[in-house]
Amino acid sequence: MVGVSLRGVSKAYGNVEVMRGLSLDIHSGEFLVLVGPSGCGKSTLLRMIAGLEEITDGTISIGDRVVNDIPASQRKLSMVFQSYALYPHMNVRKNLAFGLQNLKMPRPEIERRVAEAAQILQIGQLMERKPRQLSGGQKQRVAIGRAIVREPELFLFDEPLSNLDAELRVQMRVELAGLYNRLGTTMIYVTHDQIEAMTMATRIVVLRDGTIEQVGTPHELYTKPQNLFVAGFIGSPKINMLRAKTVSHGASGSDIVLHDFGSFSHPSIAGEHGSLTVCMRPEAFTIGSVGPLTASGRVTLVEYLGADIYLHVELSSGKVLLIHGSGHDRFVIGQNVAVSLDPDLAHYFDGDGLRVEPTHSGIAA
Amino acid sequence: MTELAATNPVGTADVVRRLRKERAVRMRRAQILKHAVLALFAFVMIYPLLWMLASSLRPNNEIFGNLSVWPSDFHWENYVDGWTALPVSFSRFFANSLVVTVLSVIGNVISCSFAAYAFARLEFDGKKIWFALMMMTLMIPYHVVIIPQYVLFLNLGWVDTYAPLIVPKFLASDAFFVFLMVQFFRQLPRELDEAAMIDGCSPIKIYWAIIMPLSLPAMATAAIFSFIWVWEDFLTPLVYLNDMQNYTVPLALRMFVDQESQSAFGQLFAMSVLSIVPVVLFFALFQKFIIRGIAMSGMK
Amino acid sequence: MRKFIARNAFGYLFLLPWLIGFLCLAAGPILASLALSFTKYDMVSDPQWVGLSNYQHMFWHDSRFWKALQVTLTYVFVAVPARLVIALVAAMLLDKGIRAIGAYRAIFYLPSILGASIAIAILWRNLFNGNGVVNTILSGIGINAPNWISDPRTSLYTLVVLAMWQFGSPMLIFLAGLRSIPGDLYEAAEIDAASKPRQFFAITLPLLAPVLFFNLVLQMIDAFKTFSSAFIISDGQGSPADSLLFFTIYLFNEAFKFFRMGYASALAWVLLLIIAAFTALSFLSSRYWVYYENERD
Repeated sequence: MVGVSLRGVSKAYGNVEVMRGLSLDIHSGEFLVLVGPSGCGKSTLLRMIAGLEEITDGTISIGDRVVNDIPASQRKLSMVFQSYALYPHMNVRKNLAFGLQNLKMPRPEIERRVAEAAQILQIGQLMERKPRQLSGGQKQRVAIGRAIVREPELFLFDEPLSNLDAELRVQMRVELAGLYNRLGTTMIYVTHDQIEAMTMATRIVVLRDGTIEQVGTPHELYTKPQNLFVAGFIGSPKINMLRAKTVSHGASGSDIVLHDFGSFSHPSIAGEHGSLTVCMRPEAFTIGSVGPLTASGRVTLVEYLGADIYLHVELSSGKVLLIHGSGHDRFVIGQNVAVSLDPDLAHYFDGDGLRVEPTHSGIAA
Repeated sequence: MTELAATNPVGTADVVRRLRKERAVRMRRAQILKHAVLALFAFVMIYPLLWMLASSLRPNNEIFGNLSVWPSDFHWENYVDGWTALPVSFSRFFANSLVVTVLSVIGNVISCSFAAYAFARLEFDGKKIWFALMMMTLMIPYHVVIIPQYVLFLNLGWVDTYAPLIVPKFLASDAFFVFLMVQFFRQLPRELDEAAMIDGCSPIKIYWAIIMPLSLPAMATAAIFSFIWVWEDFLTPLVYLNDMQNYTVPLALRMFVDQESQSAFGQLFAMSVLSIVPVVLFFALFQKFIIRGIAMSGMK
Repeated sequence: MRKFIARNAFGYLFLLPWLIGFLCLAAGPILASLALSFTKYDMVSDPQWVGLSNYQHMFWHDSRFWKALQVTLTYVFVAVPARLVIALVAAMLLDKGIRAIGAYRAIFYLPSILGASIAIAILWRNLFNGNGVVNTILSGIGINAPNWISDPRTSLYTLVVLAMWQFGSPMLIFLAGLRSIPGDLYEAAEIDAASKPRQFFAITLPLLAPVLFFNLVLQMIDAFKTFSSAFIISDGQGSPADSLLFFTIYLFNEAFKFFRMGYASALAWVLLLIIAAFTALSFLSSRYWVYYENERD
């Protein structure tokens, strides 16, 4: 297994530049997820690493080799496609063996590898079948099997679970995580689904419009989003964004007016920031009047999920908050509730959408 | 970050850039070669037509041995003289062809779409068998049925009229168009029919108000192919038309060859050119339909 | 009874024109043709029953029958593969999305539309004549070529070239077929270290097999029906020396020149059976080399 290094990678289609100067280090043995909305360039990046797309500028190195001009088949990697890309006219066994035959591997070795992959993925009983006779999940396993038999140093996944139904997706996520634990090979995984990213990755790269918004572990991205985009993208359900203003500031902190909730002084936010966006995760609110920052609102929707509920609360200003509560509590539509928040649990972003970090560590309890 | 800098010296980026440029040059050269081959090939393909066009504008003694596609002067008289070279003028021949073709096209489109509607949308006993039989008629060479048909039309007194050419078209004799339209109808969502049925429409109304307006592309395709095939048809007129006055253009051309075989090539080519002008015109105008129609018939 | 009408009324109503046509112009004539093939019929007097003697004459005494068969089969087995190969090559060249593909496609396809016309047959005859364009070019590079049309050894091949010139129609079908192969199969193959030739033989060809088969059957049936171009080039008689005596021409002359309707009907049925046999053979063999995505096993 190897690491991958991207330096100043740019991609242009004709005159249209979709990526410029992107640099990233992927550590050996990690499960790195590239996530972002459609068109952010994650698939393009993956395909450049794979060798299926030309790199307009910059270098990509796999291990210590610069691979810009090395064809895909020689990069010692395997790829699992969104549509599985199984050869429809070959049975499962031949699908698995095809690549190894092209490498002129001796027959016993091919058979050994195919048998091993079949055993790992539990597709042994499907060997004689053709792809059209397989279910979506089975096809996905065969596609993964085809990737495994090459014994690559790097696995690439291009939205492999997008074509599966919800239940199957959950199951396959677990299996893929198990596969990673077993093989330990470096894996680069592309998805638009942030839940997949959060549950499977050792590190996540959030992309938007060809640029990296943030790189970090799932925990880092969730607890310390570096900009508004990441705050809104990571975390399901979505974070609440509240408008606020700094009315006075100084070296020892600022006075902040939070719409709907009131003003407070935050001793750790220093410097001039003007307008702020204050973000609160749904679970960071408290129902009821606790503390000085409280707003009153009306319940407009109750989403009951068994152990959790999500309340949609409309404040007097019209702003709707999404608040997490326990499944034991009972709420009715139209009910008036008070909502309070703790400023130490909030994320602060300045007028440019960038995170405003408190000036000293340790948050007043 | 820093550990990579040690193993990727600055030089590498330059090497990569040079290799990329070389590859781009090679690929462009391959592209140019491919285009050159294709262009040459295309020219060879179209050369016969261009030569015929050029020859139609040359005097007879300059035609053979002359390879260029551009005539030195333009002898339009080949067209004028050729037009009246036969005992009957080509105006008559073109008019005949037009009548036969237009009526055939109308007949084809109407009758084939009826049959296609029945096969694609309606249920009835024996549908599968009739459909299979229809598909099998695609295989039948016209020569197998021509003799009994001739006897039939002879007994009906239709020989030497246009009836044997036109009436079969109104009876959906061209299974190809039925097939084409069936493929097309199958792509229209059944929910449209079902919604109309709930609204109380009879199948006739459904055909008229829903299916037909939505199938204009398929019908246009059928009309275009039908026009071209009937316009160029040689065998059927050859069998049934005896009176020169009734000849269609293909028959007239053949007569031209017989009569003037050794001399008036310029005029022959001129009339030949004119005979394919409508076809080329249709093709130029309706290319998209034609090409899509073929693709659709190929994809089962 | 009423249920029968209710269920079938509309279907048969719309089917009626085709049904009449099928019975009177297809089914009826085919059976009548079979019946006539056992008679002697010259249109002037009534048909006379002669049993199998038409067929006996055909197979044992009619050397022109065998010649016609030979000419037609040679044509079919040379022209059809040649045309399909060129069509496939052209389709592969055009499939890579080059610029001006529309123009190339149009130019390559135009001959197919014009191909059956008399004008083209006339043109072709004069292209390959003793003093035609082809010979002008050849003599320009020092080759003394025969009169391709009037030499019995080569006349058939002028028609083969004509068939090859019309590769546009199968090419379009191949293009559609190539387009339907998902691009990521090739990408997966690329990662699987498959070279370009290997990709062609292991992926493109097998997945193109249904289209190939369709084209093959269609072109074969079409080739058996060749008439107009051969008629014009050979002056309606299959000359020179019967080298262009296509089955259809032989049949036509027997029926409409010599009015031997009974014998012509027998010839027609033999033609039908030959076409049916080859089509059936193609279908049978297709089980082994054609893969259909939608088959249910």
